[in-house]
Amino acid sequence: MHHFTPHNPSATHLLTRLDARVKLLCVLALLLMVISCHGMVFPLVVAFLCCLLCLRLGLPAKLLLLRFSEPLFIASGVLLLKLFFSGHLPLFTLDIFGLHLTGYRDGLLDGAAIASRIMGGVSLVALFGFATPFTEVMAALSWLKVPQALVDVSLFAWRYLFLLIEEAQVVYQAQRNRLGYAGYRRGLSSFGTLAGVLVIKAFDNSQNVTTAMVQRGYDGRMPMLSHQPFRGAEVALSILVVAAMGVLRMLVV
Amino acid sequence: MRFAYITPVLLLIATPAHAMHISEGILPFSWAAIWYAVAAPFVALGVRRLNILGRDDLSLKPLVGLLAAVVFIISCMPIPVPTAGTCSHPCGTGLSAVLVGPLVSVLIASVALLIQALFLAHGGLSTLGANILSMGIVGSFAGWGVYRAIRRMGGGVALAGFIAGVAADWSTYAATALVLALGIRGDAPLIPLFTKVALAFLPTQLPLGILEGVITAGMLKLLYNKRPDLLVKMKVITERELPSNG
Repeated sequence: MHHFTPHNPSATHLLTRLDARVKLLCVLALLLMVISCHGMVFPLVVAFLCCLLCLRLGLPAKLLLLRFSEPLFIASGVLLLKLFFSGHLPLFTLDIFGLHLTGYRDGLLDGAAIASRIMGGVSLVALFGFATPFTEVMAALSWLKVPQALVDVSLFAWRYLFLLIEEAQVVYQAQRNRLGYAGYRRGLSSFGTLAGVLVIKAFDNSQNVTTAMVQRGYDGRMPMLSHQPFRGAEVALSILVVAAMGVLRMLVV
Repeated sequence: MRFAYITPVLLLIATPAHAMHISEGILPFSWAAIWYAVAAPFVALGVRRLNILGRDDLSLKPLVGLLAAVVFIISCMPIPVPTAGTCSHPCGTGLSAVLVGPLVSVLIASVALLIQALFLAHGGLSTLGANILSMGIVGSFAGWGVYRAIRRMGGGVALAGFIAGVAADWSTYAATALVLALGIRGDAPLIPLFTKVALAFLPTQLPLGILEGVITAGMLKLLYNKRPDLLVKMKVITERELPSNG
């Protein structure tokens, strides 16, 4: 939760102004190229370019690092697993506390390829998430024929997420002030209470929200952002970028 | 600005944490596509179920959306795991499956995973199918099945909630380990790699499963004591089991 986007991206940047549908299709195409790649150069190039764009959009470097902390941890784990437990060509051996470990060259290469895919994929999606407001992402998913119920539930979740986080924080602080997290057992009990309070709040809010929405004409369907027609220049530029990346992928693997 | 207010709040409750989501890009295209194909029918059934139930009750979609937000928050809250010396997250799907049933819970997990993938880099778009399978489908059905079985055997709400929470967490962990091993194994044999991946998760997930059970039980107990009407409405208990009737 600690690395939710805290700043709006630069509103004047081309990426933020680009149609969300075009961005989504580009991201999916590039993601496909990244995850079908067997080498490590192309995903790392994608990661580098996306990080650069994130910084250009105004994302603080610290936040970018925080967002990458979990994928980096997982990438390191996979790299170690592949290095020591997969492969045939020994590279080095280690003796740690009587444990004999052999690092394999082919395992290292495989692991590095997966780790680079992780970094490439994560940076692509991070850039997309940063440059596109949630409601536009949902409208683009709706345009892509993702089931409307899924989109509606996502919109409700997103709308009330921040409200519930605030309520969770109030309860959490109140519990802390009353030593609710002093001691492990007490902490767990407090956490359970916090979760229960959130469900009660969610239920009560849903009743109030429904009443208010029905009074405003809600009939079970959420209104979507209406899409403007595609702009030729945007589409052409996006196709050009994706094609260039496709050529790069074929060249560098 | 909303984010400006929320970020310090989130920073206050944050500590280093490592989730059990399969990260973006970790699965090759073939496995990513297979897990999407496996998850899609369950999500479709969840959507169908929600549409059927939502016809009679307009408040259901907002409720499911809000529950998705609750699952998102719970699954982002770090819990210290003493044996691993780190923090981890509960899944929250056992809880949602007990409250709204396994199919709608798959939908809730899908929404929570989608938001986490887009805005927190937890999980990913290419691994969304795999994560829905392990956390949404396996976790929800395991939690719901165990809860129902224990209740039928006469177990109380808290006991059933505890074991359901444990089952949902551990089954999610086992499914994630299997999906991960299948995805990264290359030409290595599956079983030894699965064992190693499972062992790597073990110090965190074993105690975390028990903690998730305690939290699920505590939450259900609180609902049972304070708002049993909600549990009746969500068909978690029957009217005969209301505290005043017991």
